[in-house]
Amino acid sequence: MTLEANQARTAAPAQAGRPGPLLERLGALAGRNASFVIFASLAILAALTVGNFASRDNLVIILKQSAIPAVACIGMTLVLMTGGIDLSLGYLVGLCSILSGILAKTLVLPAPVVLLAVLAAGAAIGLANGLITQYLRVPAFITTLGTGYILYGVAQIVSQGSIINRLPRPFLAIGRTDLLGLPSAVFVALGVALVFQLLIGKATFGRQLRAFGFSPAAARLSGVPTARVNVAVYTLCGTLAGLSGLLFTIRVNAAQPNMGGGVFTFEVVTAAIVGGTSLFGGVGSVVGSIFGVLSIKIIENCINLLGVSYHLYLAVQGAIILVAIIVGNLTHRRE
Amino acid sequence: MNEPLVAMQDITKFIYGADGRPIRNTEVKILDQVQFDLAAGEVHVLVGENGAGKSTLMKILGGIIPPDRGELRIAGRRVDLADARHAREQGIAFIHQELNLCPNLDVGHNMFLGREPRRRGLKDAATLYERSAALLRALSCDLDPRTPVARLSTAQQQVVEIAKAMSFESRVVIMDEPTASLTKREIDVLFELIGRMRADGLGIVYISHRFEEILAIGDRLSVLRDGRSVGTLPIREFEPGKVIRMMAGHAVDVMYPRTHAVRPEPVLEVRGLRLTPRTPPIDLTVHAGEVVGLGGLVGSGRTELAKSIFGVRPFAGGEVRYLGRKTTSWSPGRLIRAGMAYLTEDRKSEGLVLGMSIRENLSLASLGKVARLGLLSRTLEQRAAAGFIRQLGIVARSPEQPVATLSGGNQQKCVLGKWLAAAPRLLILDEPTRGIDVGAKAQIHKLIDEIAGTGVAILTISSELPELIGISDRIYVMRQGGVAAELAAGPELTQEQIVGFACLGA
Amino acid sequence: MVIPQAARRGALSLLLFAGFLAAGSGIPHFLDLSNLLNVVRQSSIIGICAVGMTFVIIIKGIDLSLAGLLAFCPMISGMLMLAGFGLVPSMAAGLLAGTVMGLFNGLMVARLAVPAFITTLVVGQICSGLALIVNGGRSIGAFPERFVFIGNGSLAGIPLSDLILIGFLAAGWFIQRMTAMGNHLHALGGNEAVLRQEGISASRLQFFVFGFSGFCAAVAGLLLSAQLDTVHPTQGDAYQLDAIAACIIGGVDLAGGRGSIPMAVMGALVIGCLRNGLDLLGVHPFMQNVFIGSIIILIVFLGGLVRRRQELATRGTL
Repeated sequence: MTLEANQARTAAPAQAGRPGPLLERLGALAGRNASFVIFASLAILAALTVGNFASRDNLVIILKQSAIPAVACIGMTLVLMTGGIDLSLGYLVGLCSILSGILAKTLVLPAPVVLLAVLAAGAAIGLANGLITQYLRVPAFITTLGTGYILYGVAQIVSQGSIINRLPRPFLAIGRTDLLGLPSAVFVALGVALVFQLLIGKATFGRQLRAFGFSPAAARLSGVPTARVNVAVYTLCGTLAGLSGLLFTIRVNAAQPNMGGGVFTFEVVTAAIVGGTSLFGGVGSVVGSIFGVLSIKIIENCINLLGVSYHLYLAVQGAIILVAIIVGNLTHRRE
Repeated sequence: MNEPLVAMQDITKFIYGADGRPIRNTEVKILDQVQFDLAAGEVHVLVGENGAGKSTLMKILGGIIPPDRGELRIAGRRVDLADARHAREQGIAFIHQELNLCPNLDVGHNMFLGREPRRRGLKDAATLYERSAALLRALSCDLDPRTPVARLSTAQQQVVEIAKAMSFESRVVIMDEPTASLTKREIDVLFELIGRMRADGLGIVYISHRFEEILAIGDRLSVLRDGRSVGTLPIREFEPGKVIRMMAGHAVDVMYPRTHAVRPEPVLEVRGLRLTPRTPPIDLTVHAGEVVGLGGLVGSGRTELAKSIFGVRPFAGGEVRYLGRKTTSWSPGRLIRAGMAYLTEDRKSEGLVLGMSIRENLSLASLGKVARLGLLSRTLEQRAAAGFIRQLGIVARSPEQPVATLSGGNQQKCVLGKWLAAAPRLLILDEPTRGIDVGAKAQIHKLIDEIAGTGVAILTISSELPELIGISDRIYVMRQGGVAAELAAGPELTQEQIVGFACLGA
Repeated sequence: MVIPQAARRGALSLLLFAGFLAAGSGIPHFLDLSNLLNVVRQSSIIGICAVGMTFVIIIKGIDLSLAGLLAFCPMISGMLMLAGFGLVPSMAAGLLAGTVMGLFNGLMVARLAVPAFITTLVVGQICSGLALIVNGGRSIGAFPERFVFIGNGSLAGIPLSDLILIGFLAAGWFIQRMTAMGNHLHALGGNEAVLRQEGISASRLQFFVFGFSGFCAAVAGLLLSAQLDTVHPTQGDAYQLDAIAACIIGGVDLAGGRGSIPMAVMGALVIGCLRNGLDLLGVHPFMQNVFIGSIIILIVFLGGLVRRRQELATRGTL
């Protein structure tokens, strides 16, 4: 029915005044690298207006604060790229936190075993999310809303409401070993970023993922194993959530069921969106999301330095997401 | 009175380009100075091949789209319809093929959606049901207006729609293929209804290609072909052969390249396939190096057959054998890896991933070929893309260009390229040249010939008869879910034959 | 009309309710009149939210801002009351805040095509944040007696909370069944194209629905704080899941177009009974969450199965 489809009732959209070619090229460049532009602008703005921001110590703090959320954000980015969402991420972080505490301290298992077990737990829960969403056809936000509450409950029960601290040193070494003045957690995050950048950018899986995110029908009809891809992204997201829970636990030397939570999920989604990930699927990148995390951590950092209430940070995140979505929708419409 | 109820004069509608603007200066238009009139108390049947313009003409009458030229008169007065609601207020009711009801509401609430009767500011359900029941009774229907629409059969839903239309005091009723999903008995009931509406002085436009129905219900018949009025005749002058000739026209003098040769090995064998439990079994074979055409009117099951072969549509019986193996329950992915390819009817939403570039789309069905150890090789991919761009003549600034910015013809070439990259042994094409300019069409015809020449089996669906006859070695004509005829290419094969089988059956 | 088939869908909640009463007879004190009235009183918070949520789900949306609004609105009212403003103006301010947030959600959905789940999630988060900021993360309490009476007092032996719930139930039912707009809301969820063809504005309906849901959340929040004589900045978190669960148990179809207010309120009572019964049995609240989360997924899955089976059955034609 292409001929019929051509009969748009409305006239062709009015051509707005076109900017000069140089401006247009700059605009396109900025658009493609929006996340970097945002990050750079924020950094410069902060350096100019907030005292102490540009000090070496402070910048190191920002890096350290960004590492672990970046790991989770990469997982969320994958899920968002398929047009889905994982609202259980924050609660999975909490569950894996208490799990790692129990395995490391109560059961005194060796550190590598704890690491593997926690990753496996995250993967298993992610897999459940993926299977329910794909095969039971339950919309992702309902599935993960439900599993999120389940995980929260389980975490509370398993921990019996208490926190486990003073964790064994070999376990802490995973994230706290000092390398080049930074904790090893930062390098773990870098490693994860590299692996997933490879996966999304260079691997066949990444291409399949993007095609599925843009157009599930076309992808399927072109032979992309859409069911497997969909389940895989949730599994990977769960794994990374588990990893970030483990790293958080190491960083604060305390395993607690309240780690992460809905607030963390939200922060991670905000970072992904600031990093250029589209809620509708298909668009997203590891590098962009990392800049997104850095950007919102800069904002958090400034809020701290300025002595403003921390809770403002939460409200600001919400505003950022809305602005990003509105802008995204408006530019989307113009196409 | 002798003003016709409706008079459409010199109605012209241009084809619109990708930029949303009409293309005014070509021979090819969607509608070209069409005349159509309707008298009160008559059933005027409108026939034409796929793409002849019947739907467009009626959409204009129904206020859904505006004409580019020409005028519409209702009872002698010139009217410019702003939208469908305006048309309805002018007394024109349109019963679409896809019914326009809310399945989650009941009959009464559907009928009065937006005009719910009120009493003292509140919805008056009692009156609503009373009036609905009355409207239904006037059509000899004793349906309880409290019945949820989701529980009604298609025929019953249709009656509800008609009753709803009648409640606007319509004088003109347009029906688009109303009997497509009805049983014989339901058709009789519908015809009785139409008879009564006619007796009440309404004018009815009835779009259909079912000749037995046209004879039973029509008073006059108009034929459209390629956007032009071919003629109007009273039903007593109706003769199938004559009408088919009017619908089909002459063979166009275009040279279709024919350098390929059919090989004896069968690549695709469909045996006893039933698209639904109620349709006849289909037998079909395509050999290597052969181009088999699939003709028939819209709704005859061509695309459904293609989708059933390709594993994306479940079917009710029979089997598909590909390269000698039974592939009835294979997934599309598995079929693609075995060398089957399906170029879909809707290239924008099913053929291409619009958010990605030409290069990325070209490799999508053959990612294994441009990857080493699971990692895509940029060089391999770019080389492959450049190759196809050259071979297919895709006009683009670079392979990185987003596929969404290409013209229709170039987009179609991208889809074709994607499938060629997968080295298919069977290529199923669904309307491969729809919505494409003449030059690109010719290029695609040449490509099809060349591909067949390499031994690939091709099954192609087309609504354009000259094209179908021009490129096919054999043609199956489908009708109502089954195969009505199998015709061999040759100088005796005419468009009339195909239209004849498509409308009349075996 | 829509009710008979909705009642069939909501039969689940009726069954469960009966089931709980039966099972509850085995639990000491469950069937005491005072306990039952208490159950309804506690369910009223969920129930009022469910009334608003039902309309949202009917038009194919979802409202995830409940958690934030249930804390933010009473926080505003509470702070005004403690600052000396009168009871009525303080409450009005809180209600207005909730309604405005709801209307904002409506704006995002209607005019900016933002998916409902994201905009409500965000607004909820913003409100949670604001609830924390406004008083530095601390709770407030010790409200004027008249306010606390609303949450805990009775009229002719029936707790005021129950009466408020009944009022909202009546209002919601009224809108659904007795107004033309009720029909339009269902049509919007059933087949938006038809609605537009009839010239009815989908945007106005969306504004109403989200605004009303925000208003319901505000009322529920104020009522909750009146019951507890406290506003705790995170008091809303538990109720959001329960409100959605109540609607789903009550047969509201997530795919849109179908749902009945009385059944959703019944679903809220089911949840209330469930929690009350489990409390009396000593089951940890977090374990209860596990149940409820699983129930939601299960019901949505089953509902989807049924729908797909129906679709296949009617797919007899090409």
